[in-house]
This record gives sequence, structure tokens and C-alpha cells, in this order.
Amino acid sequence: MAARTQWLIAFLVITGIIAATTLLITPRPPSLAELFPSGQIRVGVDPSYAPFAFYIGDDIQGLDIDLAWAIGNDLGIPVRLVALGFDGLYDALITDQVDVLISALPIEVSRLDRVIYTNPYFNAGLVLVSPHDSPILSMRDLAGLRLAYEYGSTAHTEVNRWLRRIRPFVSQPYELESYALDAVRLGDADAALVDAISAGLYARDHAEWTIQQAQVTDLLYAAAVRADYPARVTVLNESIKRLFERGELQQIIARWL
Amino acid sequence: MRLYYLAKGSFALLIRVIDRLSHIKPAIIRCAAAWIVRAVIAYTLLTAIIPAPPRPLLDIPHTVETQHPHVCVHTRLIDEVDEWKIQRTLVAVREMGAPTIVEFFPWAYIESNHDQYDWVNADRIVRHARNQGIRIIARMGLVPAWARPQREGEFTTLNTLPPAAYNEFTQFIADFAARYAGVIDHIIIWNEPNLAFEWGYQFVNPAGYVDLLRVVYSAAHAANPNVIVLAAPLAPTLEPPGSPNGLNDLLYLEAIYQAGAANYFDALAVHTYGFEHPADQLPAPDALNFRRAELLRDIMMRYNDADTHVYITETGWNDSPRWSRAVTPSQRIAYTIDALEWAADQNWLETLCLWVFRTPAPTFNYTDYFTLISVDFQRKPIYYAVQNYARGISQVEDLWLPAPNG
Repeated sequence: MAARTQWLIAFLVITGIIAATTLLITPRPPSLAELFPSGQIRVGVDPSYAPFAFYIGDDIQGLDIDLAWAIGNDLGIPVRLVALGFDGLYDALITDQVDVLISALPIEVSRLDRVIYTNPYFNAGLVLVSPHDSPILSMRDLAGLRLAYEYGSTAHTEVNRWLRRIRPFVSQPYELESYALDAVRLGDADAALVDAISAGLYARDHAEWTIQQAQVTDLLYAAAVRADYPARVTVLNESIKRLFERGELQQIIARWL
Repeated sequence: MRLYYLAKGSFALLIRVIDRLSHIKPAIIRCAAAWIVRAVIAYTLLTAIIPAPPRPLLDIPHTVETQHPHVCVHTRLIDEVDEWKIQRTLVAVREMGAPTIVEFFPWAYIESNHDQYDWVNADRIVRHARNQGIRIIARMGLVPAWARPQREGEFTTLNTLPPAAYNEFTQFIADFAARYAGVIDHIIIWNEPNLAFEWGYQFVNPAGYVDLLRVVYSAAHAANPNVIVLAAPLAPTLEPPGSPNGLNDLLYLEAIYQAGAANYFDALAVHTYGFEHPADQLPAPDALNFRRAELLRDIMMRYNDADTHVYITETGWNDSPRWSRAVTPSQRIAYTIDALEWAADQNWLETLCLWVFRTPAPTFNYTDYFTLISVDFQRKPIYYAVQNYARGISQVEDLWLPAPNG
């Protein structure tokens, strides 16, 4: 037998052994029943934050709740909602009272030693709101124009920051976010800087007014699971991705914002 | 001797390297040398253009310019890693016009091992506060593990201070008072002992707290004759007697007076929050609002303690959009200025300290909305409102535009 053939056989044998060993020692991904041993997904929510989760009568409803149901449907596992106070959410997760938190939670880097977040499903940062035919597509387009915002708010701090960066714009503080948006709608201002939730709620209440939004800052909301259950995040991420690809996630957001 | 052998060995190694290199073509050596020189030059240039972190050098000594010396803020500097952030925070405090801060000095941080003190963090806070001309009111608490009960099955927290450890705590207070005498002359003994959480998850015990005050008081005065010992601020709460969570602050204050506390503190620290109510809302025993401080003062007067002054060491409003006890940002500013103006008229009140100036890291919950400047040192509008007040600038123009008509 030629040396070359011997080398080829040896290579194939070694490759086969490595492949077989890899297959044997690689843990198979846990099943859904193993990931959620109670037979249901126990979802922790803080039902005090409309429109994400809030009580209507005895029912908890909202964007997060619809997302939880949609994930349950997608995975074929029933969902059980566990109402918790905001301060107790992470403790309930760490002590295994719930499997996942879906409660408008911003991603917190400082918690990553004990918690893993899914891919974000909503960006609640500040947005620049202007009429749909406005040329204002970013903060840099504001030079010389009028910007409305809520006095004292996070947007106010952001306005001060931008005033030091770009050519000046006319700063118009209002007592409430809704007044700032009123000002744009009524032509008293060219754009408003508000958070994405307020913008969405206002747009819902004024459906006749078509707006455009440009993201200025990011505040990403994601679901959270315990860090020692990474497979749960994989499953949830895949589910959220499927919901997004089917357009269900967008529909849920549009239903509430 | 060891150094001699090290130098000798290094020299021998160098000789061997040169000997090896002599077998390589000189062109390769020249090429390698050229690249080494280029790398050194590139590194030097890159180092020159990368901004160095701010160096926390002490500036010339400052003083706080203010028209209202009762303006005060509670800082959170002890958990700060970078010294320059401590300095920058205190510069912002001075520029706002607050001559006083309240800062926490945990026993567990400073004496984490028995009789082994680590004053580094405390020293740097004190150094920079002094440099900015800021007075510190020190809040003391948190029990190191070695001073807590070690019996198996016994649950303790950092707030568990067994009576057996009162002497160790007292020794720490005395050492602290002596070390910082003339710099820190106000010391608060414990925090909110009327909450079970703050009392090591035990039933609250007013008489037990008075026992603590009794031993600490004389030791602190012996260590620093000018020290002002402040009795712990109580958490504003309506918890009834027997509650596992705590005890109504009015009842607790009454209880410590009955246990003879009056002789063991020089001033009373007070926590009072406005929650969702304006600063001028009248106080009532069954309501939690800003002017609840007056009810505590009434109790002091009832126990013939009118000469003892009060330091409000925590107060404020919160403007989180997702906390049910918050107000709007504009209300927060208006209520805060109203509270400062109210405080200026109370001759029994020394300070009004706003919770909280800045936190070292964001918490991503409603507590972020108590701050006056952000984690990245962005000054919030409320900062400027308090600054204007401290400078005596009265607000004559409207802060915001009228609501659009339509």
C-alpha cells in the first residue's frame, strides 16, 4: 500500500474518532420540558407600568403580556404570569420563583454576573418627533429650528448636551411631555424630543396626525433569565426572532404604542 | 547580594544573545533594529495622543459661595472607584453652592478585619471635600463580618449589630472621630433603626438603640470634644407597633425619648420625603409628606428638647416616569425650591440635604430619578435650579412656556 494511501486512511480514521467523540461528549440541547420543568413558563411582571403591564380590572394586560403569550404560543408551552413589585423582579428570578422576567427591563451590564438578557424587543430611548413631511431626521437638522421638550426631564438634559455640540436651535421647554408634542402638532415647534413610549402613546391618541420619529438615545428593553440557564435565552431569542420575522412582534408593539 | 547575582545573570544572558546574533546576517539585524525603533516611536506618539485619565491633583483651597448655607446634598462617594470622580463630584457640589454633604463611612469597609483599619477611601473623600471647602456630616453603620454573631444557623446582615459588639463599634467611632477631628465634626449614629431591614431584620428596639447611643456618645466626645453626635434619622413610615417591618417614626422617636435618649445626642438627623405631595402640604400623623419633620420637632419640644437642633439629612422628590410615588420633573424642581425656602425660615433646622447628588453607577430603576447630576456628570435642570437658589437668584421668568392652545 502506498504511503500516501496509508496517510489518507490514518487521517480518515482519526477524523472519524474525533467526530464520534465530539458527538458523544457534546451535550444535547435540553428539551423545552427540561428548560421549563413546571410545564409552563412562569413569567415575572411588574403590573404597574402601562402600556407594558398594568391591571385592567383583575386582568394584567399590556405589551409585555402580549409578548409573553406570543412566546408561549410559539413554543407551545402555557404561560403563567406572576405579578411582582418592580423592586422584587430580579430577586424572584434569582430565587427561581419565575423562569423569565418580561417587564420592560432595561439591559443592565452590572447584573450580567447573575442574569442573561435576550435580544432587545423595544427601544425606549429618546426620539425626535416631527411631522411626517419635515426635513428633521436627526438632531443635527435642528439648527435654527424650534425644539420642544419637557422641562427638567431626561430630554432636557439631552437638549443641553446637544446645544453644546451643534449649531444653536431654539429651545422650548414645556411643563409636560404632552404639551411639547402638542406644540409640534399645532405648529408652535418644529420637533419635540420625548421618550419613545410617550411618543407612541401620543401618536395613538392623535391618529389623524402623521409623524416621523428618529432615535436619539437608546434604552433597550429585554427579557431576563438566570445566568445559569443560558439555554433558556437561546430558546427565547429564537422565539422572539420568529415573532419578528412573522411580523407578530411589530403588531404587538403597534397594538399598544 | 541577590541584586549582584541578578545583574551578573542578566549580563551573561545578554552576551549569549549577542553571540547568537553574530551568526545572523548583519542586514537582518539592522532591519529588525529599524523595526524596533519604529515601534518605540509609534508607541511614544500614540501614548502622547491618548488622553490620560484626569489626575486628581488638589487645587488651591476653595470656599463654597452661597447665600443659603443650609443647602446640602447627600453624596455617594464611598463606593466610587476613581478618585477623579470624587473630586469632580465635589467640585459640582461646591459650584452648586452646597457647603455641606452627608456621606456614608461604613465600618465594614474601614475595619473589615478586627483592629486593621483601611482609611484610604475615607481619606481621599475627606481630602477632596476639604479642598473644595465642603463640610462633611458622616453617617456611620454597616457591621463587618467579624463583629457579627457567627453561630451556625443564625442569620445576620450587614445591619446586624449585636449588643455584644457595641463596644467594638464604639471604638471604631472613637477612632474615626479622633482621626477626622476638626474636619468631620458631625457624626450620625446608624441609619433608620425604626426599619427591621436597617436593624438586621430583627424587631426594631428603641431601647436597644438608646443603649448604643449611650456608649457611643461619651466615647465620641472623648475622642473629639467638638463633635456633634446626631441621633439616627428615622425612616418615614406608618408601620404600627408589632409590625415585623418596622415602627412608625413618630412612635419610635417618642420611645427613644422615654428610654432616656435626650442625654446622648446633640442633634437629631431627620429623613423626610415629599413623595407625590407638594412641599407646603400640612403634616398629619397618618400622612407621609415633606413637613412630617415638624411632627418630629413637636415631639422633641414635648420632651423639653427644643434647644436640640435638627439636620434634615435626606429629603427630596423623585421624577421617575414609572414610580407611583413620583412627580413630574417640573413639580420636583418647584417642590424642592419650596422646601429649601421653608427650611430657611426654621430656626431649629441646620441643613436640608437632598437625596442624592450623584450615584457611581446607574441603577436603571426609579432611584436614578432622585439624582441632581447624572452618572456621566451631566447637570440636570434641578441642579441649576438649586444653584440659582443658593446664589440668591430668584426666579422671575417662567421656567417653561404655556401649554399650546388647541
